Amino acid sequence: MKQELHANRVQLSYATVLFWTSTLGIIFIIAGYLTYVLQLLPSAVSPAEVALHWHLRAAELHKVVAVPSGWDWLTQLGRGDVISYASIVYLSSVTMFCLAVIIPAFVKEKDFIYTVLTLLQVTVLLFVAAGAFSGGH
Amino acid sequence: MNQRGYRAFSSIFLLTLFSALLLLSPAAAFAVQAQPPVQTEWWVWEIALFVFSFFLGIIAVIAGVGGGVLFVPIVSSFFPFHIDFVRGAGLLVALSGALSAGSPLLKKGLANLKLALSMALIASISSIAGAMVGLAMPENVVQLSLGATILGISVIMLLSKNSAYPEISEPDTLSKILHIYGIYYDEQLKKDVSWQIHRTPVGILLFIVIGFMAGMFGLGAGWANVPVFNLVLGAPLRVSVATSIFVLSINDTAAAWVYLHKGAVLPLIAVPSIAGMMIGTKIGARLLTKVHTRVVRKLVITLLAAAGLRALLKGFGI
Repeated sequence: MKQELHANRVQLSYATVLFWTSTLGIIFIIAGYLTYVLQLLPSAVSPAEVALHWHLRAAELHKVVAVPSGWDWLTQLGRGDVISYASIVYLSSVTMFCLAVIIPAFVKEKDFIYTVLTLLQVTVLLFVAAGAFSGGH
Repeated sequence: MNQRGYRAFSSIFLLTLFSALLLLSPAAAFAVQAQPPVQTEWWVWEIALFVFSFFLGIIAVIAGVGGGVLFVPIVSSFFPFHIDFVRGAGLLVALSGALSAGSPLLKKGLANLKLALSMALIASISSIAGAMVGLAMPENVVQLSLGATILGISVIMLLSKNSAYPEISEPDTLSKILHIYGIYYDEQLKKDVSWQIHRTPVGILLFIVIGFMAGMFGLGAGWANVPVFNLVLGAPLRVSVATSIFVLSINDTAAAWVYLHKGAVLPLIAVPSIAGMMIGTKIGARLLTKVHTRVVRKLVITLLAAAGLRALLKGFGI
């Protein structure tokens, strides 16, 4: 059974990038989480302190404790809580990487419709990742 | 005990074990005593969440439902976390499941990139809108609408009948323009099956609604994606299930970013849920042939309806 009979080259490229980026993502979130809860690195807010407030609404919790959100952690990469959060940010970016990879593949195949559709999809995801739709935090 | 009796016994044993775990967990103890939180060590909650998600992953696979749809109503009912964080974790649970399942489905041609991309663009925009609305709504309104939605999903799951190989006499114009068609190898039929779709504009409109609800409640949307792909657009069931997972990875990515920016994602809640659900899902897949899936599915729908009812009552302040 030839694989390309059932999935075209663009789809196969997406699948390959997805496999590696998502596998890395799973390893990253587990490593990040263990770094945080085992306190292998110092954290601005300890797990016990977060647990005291996790019954509050997200907006209220952020008034009480300085847990990372959005992109506000970028300058504090040496913290355990930040590393754990960054791993989730990475996992939430995997789809964008995969879509970005297939744009040149669609261009190469001269598939105008899907080049535009994928470009628009990546643009939407980039905008929301930048905080454009949620006013940042 | 004969084979049938053994499978029924295994199914009931699994569900009983899960229910017992739910009742005996510190989460249930907390649920009985209203807020503020009881002084349970944070790591007890972490372990309870991991174990709970693990069992949820097992029964979700056996019942043929997405883990995300079970996660939000049940965890928000029995754990002390605010529903904002549960929805954020629910989205990430559904997203990580979709990401790890996506690659083989795309390689086999079961998930179709063009079908998914055509629906995902507009659905992801509505998913962002849903997430923004959901996080801005008062808590009781969230609980009320979540309860009503979950009860609706239970009814859909109970009544919906899938069609393995829908017959499409003529594809519609839009699907021809978008080149949405495909061929996959069907393991059951032992041959290649080619397919096409119809009613593409109706499908796109329905995906707007599905995206909005998925973003608003942090639910995976397989329960709605699959019937739309299969019964409305006429894609074969296997293609519908696989493409649904792929669409979910795009929509949930969009909504997850809103939750990240609004501060509604806590690694302490998200990571044990993702890890527990992923391991549970793998074990559930192995148990699939050993338990009575139909019995488990009905019991899970009942559990889902009970969680929906509980959310509804919480919304009314009862």
